[in-house]
Amino acid sequence: MLLVLDQIRKSFGGVNALKRGDLQVKAGEVHLLMGENGAGKSTLMKIVAGMYQPDGGTIQWNGKPVQFRNPAEASANGIAMVHQESLLFPHLTVAENIYLGREDPSSVGFVNRRRMMDQARRLIEEQRFPLHAEWQVSRLSPAGKQMVEICRALSRGSSLLIFDEPTSSLSESETREVFRIVNGLKASGMGVIYITHRLDELRTVGDRVTVLRDGETIHTGDLKDLTTDGLIRHMVGREVNSLYKRTPVAPGAELLRVQGLSRRPLLKDINLTLRAGEIVGMAGLVGAGRTELCRAIFGVDQIDAGSIRVHGAATRFGRPREAVGAGVALITEDRQKTGLATSLPIASNVTMASLASISGFGVIDHRREAAMTLEYKSKLRIKMDQPQQLAGRLSGGNQQKVVISKWLASGAKIFLFDEPTRGIDVGAKVEVFEVMDELARNGAAILMVSSELQEITQVADRIVVMRQGRISGELPGGASQEQIMRLAAFEAESGELQ
Amino acid sequence: MMQRLLPFLTLFLLFVILSIAAPDTFLTERNLSTVVRQTAVINIIALGMTLIIITSGIDLSVGAILALSGFMGAKAMEAGYAIPVAVLIGISTGALCGLINGLLITRLKINPFIVTLGMLGVIRGLTLTISKGLPASGVPDSFKYLGTGTFLGAPVVLWLLLVCAVSMHFVLEYTRLGRYAFAIGSNPDAAYYAGIPVSFHLTCVYGIAGLLTGIASMIETSRLMTGQPTAGNGYELQAIAAVVIGGGSLRGGEGTVVGTLIGAFIMGLLSNGSDLLGINPYLQQALIGAAIIVAVTLDEVRKRQLPR
Repeated sequence: MLLVLDQIRKSFGGVNALKRGDLQVKAGEVHLLMGENGAGKSTLMKIVAGMYQPDGGTIQWNGKPVQFRNPAEASANGIAMVHQESLLFPHLTVAENIYLGREDPSSVGFVNRRRMMDQARRLIEEQRFPLHAEWQVSRLSPAGKQMVEICRALSRGSSLLIFDEPTSSLSESETREVFRIVNGLKASGMGVIYITHRLDELRTVGDRVTVLRDGETIHTGDLKDLTTDGLIRHMVGREVNSLYKRTPVAPGAELLRVQGLSRRPLLKDINLTLRAGEIVGMAGLVGAGRTELCRAIFGVDQIDAGSIRVHGAATRFGRPREAVGAGVALITEDRQKTGLATSLPIASNVTMASLASISGFGVIDHRREAAMTLEYKSKLRIKMDQPQQLAGRLSGGNQQKVVISKWLASGAKIFLFDEPTRGIDVGAKVEVFEVMDELARNGAAILMVSSELQEITQVADRIVVMRQGRISGELPGGASQEQIMRLAAFEAESGELQ
Repeated sequence: MMQRLLPFLTLFLLFVILSIAAPDTFLTERNLSTVVRQTAVINIIALGMTLIIITSGIDLSVGAILALSGFMGAKAMEAGYAIPVAVLIGISTGALCGLINGLLITRLKINPFIVTLGMLGVIRGLTLTISKGLPASGVPDSFKYLGTGTFLGAPVVLWLLLVCAVSMHFVLEYTRLGRYAFAIGSNPDAAYYAGIPVSFHLTCVYGIAGLLTGIASMIETSRLMTGQPTAGNGYELQAIAAVVIGGGSLRGGEGTVVGTLIGAFIMGLLSNGSDLLGINPYLQQALIGAAIIVAVTLDEVRKRQLPR
């Protein structure tokens, strides 16, 4: 065994990201690491690569117990990671990126450029990569950047390479290139850990598989002994506890219709309707294009083709302001970055999208602002002292309620919730669902993007699944998590599971 | 709460110390009105800078704008225009320069630091070119009143400063423009997503700052009784320092009128006090520089202690 992880534990704050992470990787195999979003795959790999320190458990590397205090130690031991988000220096050349940080110490700060270039060229030739040592990295495609990372790992004599969803941002031909590379590495006797969400590609590259679920290793075994159905069951098969149950109302008029929407490079031919009183769940894997779709509808990104109808009228929002004016709200997935002004009072956040309605001739009516804030405080049960308290001091759930208040105040009728329950505790989650339920009852149309299959199956009246920039299928509200996972990870209407 | 009062306490303490250290010279009506007159120009510029810094922007060109506006106003007087018309010309010049700053920042989407650094050179260079480096000196005697006269027993500039300060306070606390400035500075993406017309309001913000600089330039011209093309050198840094000493944050979303006024007066008193106490003017610079670092450090400590 090259690498043996035994009962690795890791928590962040109060959150147990990993409870029992077990993994054994042999030399000369491609070991798949699978699991839902948040199952703990990335955390486990970051521990292997020395980026995080485990709270408990042991790591054996080549039969000896080890502890990596930082990425440099892991790297010195021959473990390298090819990152999802490339960690290269965009303004430097391919060769400089491969050798950065390991310049010859005898050169006292000077770089022997010619020797570095020669070495890089030889390495690239050996791997038959379509790269040039003197190219600037910023001009490379995502696949090209991965090749640079692989070169860097090889140049350090790595014997274990970790790929974190290498194909999630690649085209089909680039994906095939990655498979070729991975198989080449395997043939040369290296161990490869390969994280993927895409069930369709795993049999092309994988030998064995380990499935993580809720921070625990659920299954390890040969890939050929496992059906894809069985794999899905391992990935989602948690007990479904009744978190929330919504009673749907009969849907009313169509408020939003998206037809044939496309936006390069990801979104392709998207059709979607939202009716008054409806909560439509949108499932899909990370990178499937759900957030991008919300941004395109809301006018943050411009679409290349297709049409958007709001309340029956054809529109194309050039910027969010126009969407807000038409009664569309986007509760973004990154609250700190695009939702909340944390250094401003709660009241300022609540009225941010509706200031015109409480001001005359540009002068704000502070009493109405305070009254409005207190109204939403009691309506959404926001735990806060007073309207002038800074929004950043609230807990995650209450911050989310302030963001929702902002959009309620704006008088929106169409709500796009992008991961509305991310980073908030269970109690607050239920309250967010209750708000969505009430909105729907009062005639709003809601799209809820979520990576938590359980909450989608419980809250949504209809479930739309996205995969690689397309709608891969639609399911009724009570659909099982397995059904959703299949649409999210496989080709649409794929027959191979039957 | 105690720590929020820190700038105020510092100013008060400085006042008390100087009253004791230089009892005969400091606490005189003459000296105090000198302090007011000396700080009024920086103070009024700093009010505009407060608004800009709240949006997490910066304006390095205010000193140059002051010189151009002052020169244009003085030149208009020299050419025989009535004082009110000439003053209007000076102030409009400032506002126009500010608007150009704002338009460049929002249209070209270039960092305010870079745009206003460039504009500092452009405006200063234009002023020197137009003036051929010579001051406009044909300013009528009655114009003295603005910079050196008194009204109801207090310097005219003090009343002017009060009007500007109260107006800016009103803008920041009670108007949509002020609120949007805070929102843009605190979280520009959230402001954009909330449908706030970010570019329009940013342009207005720089325009208003230019307008205030125009007003300040008329005071400066009245005090010097010439339109100096070299006036206002380094004023941008003093204005920024006043805002920062008063609790404004270069990260945006924070800043108050009262804080900025106190910041400007702290610097004014430091400079006046060192004059009275006979401290070497070279050392004064070092003193004021150190004061900026101390003030901002204390403010950072306060903010870090707040629960997050």
